[in-house]
Amino acid sequence: MSASPLPSTNRDWSKLVGESLKQHGAWHTWAKLLEAQRMYRDDLSLRGYVEILRNTIVRDFLAHPKGLQAVPRLSAEFMSNFDRFNLNAQEGYLVSLIDGRLDVQKLLILSPFDPFNTIFSLARLQQERAITVPQ
Amino acid sequence: MTFALSLLDQLPHAIAVITEGGGVEYRNRAFDDAFGGDAAQWLKEAARAVAGERGWLHGFFTDGETIDVEIEGRIYRIDRIMRIVEERESPAVALSFEDVTREREAEQAKSDFTAQIVHDLRGPLSGIQGTLEFVLSQDAKLDTLYSDLLQEAQRESERMMNLINEILDFSKIKSGNFTVEAEPVRVAGVLKRAVRSLQSVAARDEVFLLSAHGRDVPQIFGSMEKLTQAIINLISNSLKFTPKKGVISVGAQIERTNDVAEAIVITVTDSGMGIRADEIATIFEKYKQAGTKSIRGGGGTGLGLYIVKQVVEAHGGEVTVASVDGVGTSMILRLPVRRAA
Repeated sequence: MSASPLPSTNRDWSKLVGESLKQHGAWHTWAKLLEAQRMYRDDLSLRGYVEILRNTIVRDFLAHPKGLQAVPRLSAEFMSNFDRFNLNAQEGYLVSLIDGRLDVQKLLILSPFDPFNTIFSLARLQQERAITVPQ
Repeated sequence: MTFALSLLDQLPHAIAVITEGGGVEYRNRAFDDAFGGDAAQWLKEAARAVAGERGWLHGFFTDGETIDVEIEGRIYRIDRIMRIVEERESPAVALSFEDVTREREAEQAKSDFTAQIVHDLRGPLSGIQGTLEFVLSQDAKLDTLYSDLLQEAQRESERMMNLINEILDFSKIKSGNFTVEAEPVRVAGVLKRAVRSLQSVAARDEVFLLSAHGRDVPQIFGSMEKLTQAIINLISNSLKFTPKKGVISVGAQIERTNDVAEAIVITVTDSGMGIRADEIATIFEKYKQAGTKSIRGGGGTGLGLYIVKQVVEAHGGEVTVASVDGVGTSMILRLPVRRAA
């Protein structure tokens, strides 16, 4: 999927997203969709495609063998060089909760954010290698 | 033009040509036969009254909508059969008038009958559901077999109740009794209620059903009950097509212009099998169901998404769908934040 002029019909988005997912993975496709959303503000279906990608990312995160019992830990890289990570307020707050003992289930209870966005932020922290989720 | 009018005169249907301003330029013989000597005056008054109140004439000049109009106790279906623009300063339309009073009365009777039957079915079914819930809530150690059977009976009774509710809503839509109240509705509350009502079903099916919205979603004006039912319909639909360990999220985002909330966009998204591209265009039509087979079996009336669309449109909103084959589907509802007058 490219950021240059994109068609705005449902069918084309569906195809573009499907192909991009196969070739570049969920995170890349999600980022490209955010770009497309800025270009086509009136295209309501694009919001749906963004949500489909976020859903895919959350599902993949929850596919961890331990599921909600998985325990995230701060990565060595984050501990030694946290300035490198450009975290938003939500991610920053979640990082402050991660102590290597609380599992995802407990983090969901402690998080002031909604469950979906909490898990999405954890997935993003994992993608950025700020945290690891050992098996 | 003359040739066209002479043709119209031969037709058995009542036809009149009306100008953009609502004036009657021509009426055919069948029209005079049907409406008598006062036909011209009748038509003029009808055109003026309805055009002024509902702007239907404008519709005929642009997209040619069909409309039922009640005049003097009779119901007439008015169709645009031709738009006349050639050699004229302003356009005119040829409209056909058909008395559909009897058909509409028959439809109403059918709709009333359906509503009555559905209403009568809900009573005993509620009793069965209550009994099953009571038995299952008791701590008495039931044999696993009996427990499974009772749970199955509970699931099926839930499904039957959903079908009955869909038919009831559909009959209300058909009879024109589907109205939306203008009470303040907390959208966050609607989503919370809908998610909570299906949380146990999702847990049973081993699907993650997750809220994806904060508390600061503004309120809108409409019907709490109907919006909740619409969201429940969407989540139920997602549950049918989402495999174990899948995710269903229910989110809300606010659209703002100059920091003022203009609309709320609600999304119900699943990681199911998706809808085929050729089915997306018709997914909101009545009696349409995606060809994809439900994972958990049990069909429906094919009215669920149709009802959702009616509910959203009754709130002045719009609904659309995004889907990627084998990845998931998202239903997107855009509801305007209307303020009380």
